[in-house]
Amino acid sequence: MKLFVSEGNPHCLKVLSALEVTGVQCDVQYVNHEERVVPFLSRPTLPALLLPSGLHLFSSNAICRYLFEANGQESSEVCNQWLEWEATDLQPALLQALHMAVLQGKGSEVYKVLQGPLNFLDQSLSKGNTPYLTGEAVSIADIVLWATLCPVLSDPSLALGDCKSVKAWFDRVAATQSCQSAANKVLQGKGLQGMKSYMQKQPAPQSNQCRETQLCNSN
Amino acid sequence: MALRELSSLEKYLGLKKPNKYSTQGEKKVPVLQNNNGPPLVGLVTIACHLVKEAKRPELLGGSAETRAVVQQWLEYTITKVHNCTKEDTKTILKDLSLYLQDKVYLASNQITLADIFLYYGIHPIIMDLSFQEKEQCVNVTRWFDHIQHYPGIRHHLPVVVVLRNRIYTGRHH
Repeated sequence: MKLFVSEGNPHCLKVLSALEVTGVQCDVQYVNHEERVVPFLSRPTLPALLLPSGLHLFSSNAICRYLFEANGQESSEVCNQWLEWEATDLQPALLQALHMAVLQGKGSEVYKVLQGPLNFLDQSLSKGNTPYLTGEAVSIADIVLWATLCPVLSDPSLALGDCKSVKAWFDRVAATQSCQSAANKVLQGKGLQGMKSYMQKQPAPQSNQCRETQLCNSN
Repeated sequence: MALRELSSLEKYLGLKKPNKYSTQGEKKVPVLQNNNGPPLVGLVTIACHLVKEAKRPELLGGSAETRAVVQQWLEYTITKVHNCTKEDTKTILKDLSLYLQDKVYLASNQITLADIFLYYGIHPIIMDLSFQEKEQCVNVTRWFDHIQHYPGIRHHLPVVVVLRNRIYTGRHH
């Protein structure tokens, strides 16, 4: 089993954190952002996990699921729900936010893009009244969401409003040794700027408005 | 669209009592009211719940590896295929055609929820292809044709005629 990652790639933070948390044995290889590891995908996609069967996983959430399951922790329905929300709602908003903050120098506008998802997360956390997203212990949902939000929430220059519950939860997850170590590997202490070379290679994200229109058309 | 997919999935699974769904937000995300706990939100989350309810765990994959591969294609369907542009369509068909080159099903050697969902998701795209375009992604159309004729899956969707006879050309007849 082999995990392919690249430095400064925000998606790799998820899988490296999951690897540290679960302690699963796996070779980790650092490659260039442009390396086409998954043979059937026309765009280079990282991270990628080469499974013992020879198949590749190219979705960071699926890789996290596999690592947690290999460690005996199958994803619960509540976790599934958070992972789906991460993929459909949080991730597109975050990529747009990173694009603005890292490439366009529009850090002040990031809050507008992330406001919706952050408020939703904040309300869920304060309503749930547990230290972590799905209960008393860290789950796959905490690791995946923490890693997604890490680049923006650990940057003090981005004003991200008053989401008290999100901040308390974020600091709680960030305090674990595994998350710290993964964040250091990916961001190398350079914060948002550490992602510049990765972001430059990505297509500009579609604006929310055009996503919504397409959704309406396809429905 | 999401609610029709869930209702077709319920029929395929043979669930006796149809569930009641509502939707939330601008994107009309499906919500399932759950008697034993908080409501479930999200198309894939609800679909996986239905599969468990119907006691058909093999549809989610028989091993940890297959389960991860199934989840990956479910995510691919809702994030890449569901709201894709014309330009994305080309990449999706090209990539899938290469992936399916040596496969009958997406995630294992039997049908899984990933096949059913991608079939629902890609149906409008395949409907719009010309015969020539269909021939350019022949592995996708072969897989698609197989799934649309798989007993009990098609339900709300019309059959798409995907292939001309490629083996015998007109002059052999």
